[in-house]
Amino acid sequence: MRLPPFFGKKRGHRRTGSQAWGSFGEAVFYAALVAAGLCFAGLLLTGAVGIGPESAAPAWSRGWLWIFILLIPGALLAFGAAGLARAVRDWGKSEERRAAAEGLGTFLESMGQAPAARHTYPGVPTCDDLVNSPGTILRYRLPIESPESWTLVGMGLFAGLWNAVLVVLAVSAGIDIVSGRIEWVLLAVLVPFVLVGVTGIVIFIRRLVLTTAVGTTQLEICDHPLLPGNSYDVLLAQSGSGMFRALALTLEIEEMASFRQGTDTRTERVIVWRDVVKEWTNLEITPGVRFETHVTVAIPAGAMHSFGSAHNAVRWRLVVRGQPERWPGFVRVFPVVVHPAMPAESAAVRREAASDEVPE
Amino acid sequence: MIPHDEGTAASKPPAPRIGVYFDHPSRRYAPGEELVVRYDVEGVDPAAIQAMERTVVWYTEGKGEEDLGVHRFERIDDVAGLAEALPDGTIVAWLPVSPLSYEGVIVKIRWCVRIRLFFVAGRDFVSEHVFEIGDIAPARGVVERVQ
Repeated sequence: MRLPPFFGKKRGHRRTGSQAWGSFGEAVFYAALVAAGLCFAGLLLTGAVGIGPESAAPAWSRGWLWIFILLIPGALLAFGAAGLARAVRDWGKSEERRAAAEGLGTFLESMGQAPAARHTYPGVPTCDDLVNSPGTILRYRLPIESPESWTLVGMGLFAGLWNAVLVVLAVSAGIDIVSGRIEWVLLAVLVPFVLVGVTGIVIFIRRLVLTTAVGTTQLEICDHPLLPGNSYDVLLAQSGSGMFRALALTLEIEEMASFRQGTDTRTERVIVWRDVVKEWTNLEITPGVRFETHVTVAIPAGAMHSFGSAHNAVRWRLVVRGQPERWPGFVRVFPVVVHPAMPAESAAVRREAASDEVPE
Repeated sequence: MIPHDEGTAASKPPAPRIGVYFDHPSRRYAPGEELVVRYDVEGVDPAAIQAMERTVVWYTEGKGEEDLGVHRFERIDDVAGLAEALPDGTIVAWLPVSPLSYEGVIVKIRWCVRIRLFFVAGRDFVSEHVFEIGDIAPARGVVERVQ
């Protein structure tokens, strides 16, 4: 029997590896984990390694120690066996057959739902999370996608944890000094720790002030999901105080692709289309009275719909960019979902027929 | 047609020739429309084939890892089924309303019909034929790279 080649398709400047050899390598790896787990478990159960009778551990704790130690070979066996079973299951199957098997699971899940709730737009992200908040004036209030908030939380956590460690070290150094001993090494370590701790707090507070000082931005929309060729009423509300040199609302399409580079997974994002819905300049916002305005957002006919798969996405978003006079500029992103436009004639019948295509 | 053979050039037998004929010569279909594809397989002894897969799939191309979605999958590995499906046959499928074919900057979506033959000797041969669903304008270029 002839062995399969090591290299497969050529794509641009790179070649994909052989699927057969990849599956074989994966199976060998998981088999090695199973073997290691069996060996380890065997050594433990035969008493070659582990907790002997001469152990200093109290009798009541030995049972727990055994369970704890057996977790290691248990995890190796479970992880290895699951991987090996998956590798054996997929062995020799085409990528279409494997993908169809995955798709069947999704289809079976959807069978439990009411027909109206079935996801009839394959590859289009659902907008359930975008329509669960009613607006004050229009139908839906759009949620904000806010990486800034998560950065702020991360900075706060870092500053808190770092300074907690710093306090423990400082108390220890203080006790030493009070008792007449001076640990120079500990004091030397404390100096950079204090610098990092203080810097962390300063950056966190500055970020907190910047995030909260500008005021909140709120977008409401009359309908969702959106359709190409249609126009939608949108309410923009900006709170805060003072002068805004500029405030703009734009509609954008963002493409996002995740790929592996060595052992890292990287994500690239590009804006491929942008339409300025409306711009305001020299806007004076009175404290306690938010700036509110209605605008019309039009989705161009023939535009690409929202799309999402495991590693690729096409995302629509409304973006508010502001430039307050006294603070740094801000960008606030509000994702929206655009469905594909349906052909006029018997669209519903066709959609039902298409959704009934079942992977065999 | 993009034939792909996983065997090496040195010892492999002649590659099959798979002709595919779409009912729309432009290969452009509306979302939800019926796709009818006729195919014929030449240059291979039907007795040398142990299974055949006829699929309608979409896949992504571009900067990201490839994602694959199967809309219709049919595997034929019984003698009676193979006798009916070879040397020629027809694939019929109602197309879905999404995802539509798209020519983006770093994300592209392609639809295709794939016919994969599994030989008794263990090799397989796949023939891929791209078509389009919808009429989406291609992306014009990068407006801004998001950090």
